Amino acid sequence: MLKVQNLVAGYGKVKVLHAVSIHVPKGQLVTLIGSNGAGKTTTLRAISGMIKPESGEILLNGTNIAGMPSHEITRLGMAHSPEGRRVFPTLPVTDNLLLGAFPRLTGARPKGDVDTDLNRMFELFPRLKERKDQLAGTLSGGEQQMLAMARALMLQPEVLLLDEPSMGLAPRLVEEVFATIARLKTAKITMLLVEQFAAAALDVADFGYVLENGRLAGSGPAEKLKNDPAVRAAYLGASH
Amino acid sequence: MDLSLRGFPLVRVFTTMQNFFQILVSGISVGMIYGVIAFGYQLTFATSKTLNFGQGEALTLGALVGLTVVNFLIGMKLGTFAAYLLALPLVFAFGLAQGSVVEWLGVRQAMKTKSEAGWIMATIALGIIFKNLAENIWGKDPLKFPSPLSENPLTIMGVNIRPMEIAIVLGALAMMLAVELFNRRSIYGKAVVATSNDRDAAGLMGINTSLVITFSYALSSLSAALAGVLVAPITLTGASMGAALGLKAFAVAIIGGLSSGMGVVVGGLILGITESLTGFYIDTGYKDVPGLILLLLVLSLKPAGLFGKAAIKKV
Repeated sequence: MLKVQNLVAGYGKVKVLHAVSIHVPKGQLVTLIGSNGAGKTTTLRAISGMIKPESGEILLNGTNIAGMPSHEITRLGMAHSPEGRRVFPTLPVTDNLLLGAFPRLTGARPKGDVDTDLNRMFELFPRLKERKDQLAGTLSGGEQQMLAMARALMLQPEVLLLDEPSMGLAPRLVEEVFATIARLKTAKITMLLVEQFAAAALDVADFGYVLENGRLAGSGPAEKLKNDPAVRAAYLGASH
Repeated sequence: MDLSLRGFPLVRVFTTMQNFFQILVSGISVGMIYGVIAFGYQLTFATSKTLNFGQGEALTLGALVGLTVVNFLIGMKLGTFAAYLLALPLVFAFGLAQGSVVEWLGVRQAMKTKSEAGWIMATIALGIIFKNLAENIWGKDPLKFPSPLSENPLTIMGVNIRPMEIAIVLGALAMMLAVELFNRRSIYGKAVVATSNDRDAAGLMGINTSLVITFSYALSSLSAALAGVLVAPITLTGASMGAALGLKAFAVAIIGGLSSGMGVVVGGLILGITESLTGFYIDTGYKDVPGLILLLLVLSLKPAGLFGKAAIKKV
């Protein structure tokens, strides 16, 4: 479904990623773990076109999307719930969700039933239903995170990129976010999850990659990574 | 003898009030014109944090194109009012095209290279080019724009109001209301708001944000062109008509706040009315002073504008 090959990317002259290769098979949840500054967010930003990769291939269903502007990549079915949530603060919750379906509402992707999906989001995130007319900027951090995820799902994406969905949330909300991710996994949504809570991410994922200073330091089935002594020492001991 | 002496102050009070309201009326119509132009500044500032400093010239061109079309249609034996109404869509289309050109030539490149001052110089330069173009096509002398409405004022409670002044207020409000409705109701309008909120995140929604910015420039010039054809029948039309209006509307946008829709209406009215009052009661030579003092006050005390929420980007 999503195949990243030898991705090199960064900001200006500063290279962050050095030849990173990742494979996200259809219907699977793949997680990318690593310490702060390892390049996890940069990887997602390069995949969704928020930054232009320097070189490498990013194949979405066989189409090379490397270097395309982000709106075109989204129209090919890539949804990205970005770091820091990035909801639209002056728009109501419902409008934020509808904008997630923008390509469907404007004919760039099959329309399907947007209203039904909207209601499905409200079922998945009941808190958003209570707040549906409220401006997104007035929501709490946890609610904004739910909104960012729901907004991305409104695309009915082929692949969903989730960047640090637990960041800045209270422990109880972190659990809730992971429970939601587990539910999305049951619904066979293809996901690439970037997380600081490596243990929780590996618990829920099928497969994992470890990123270190912009290079892959390891990969394997999530179960196996979780029991790898080196991974345990570096990422699981301190973070959870 | 006794009677007239006693009556005199009352009459004076009455005419004083009448004068005051008369001044108010002309202040309001001028203020609404400032408001529409300032609204145009807001549109592009919202999506791209840039402004078209050639906004005054967009107004000039809109008015002159309108004049040519109206005169042509009158030549085709159409009534002035019908000609004016028929000319409006053409003026709007011209405004949209002109604004797109400004964005395309002046702003896009500067934004791509993250140049802080590039778009300022480029939009000023384009403004000068447009002005020269207007001088060459329509000449340097002011022209008379045929008034679509009667030029005989209506007298309401002793105050003379020209029908065109009412049209200005209604036209300005209709323009702003239409944009507001578009932003709130249509998914494309929401895409514009989303782009204003967070351009990168809007891109992730599949919104072509470059196109949104081009569109906001197009709409911005359309509002200037509308202001042009609204004000032209009550002033003189010519290549230099827009320069002062564009500059004052810029002051209005700063006073009202570049991020507040209501701010430009109130800011426009404040400037229009203080100008008219100063012009009448003090001296026309000083009529620009109070507005500019207000501008300086706002800049030093409340830089985001009277109704503004966010800080103005330092340019």
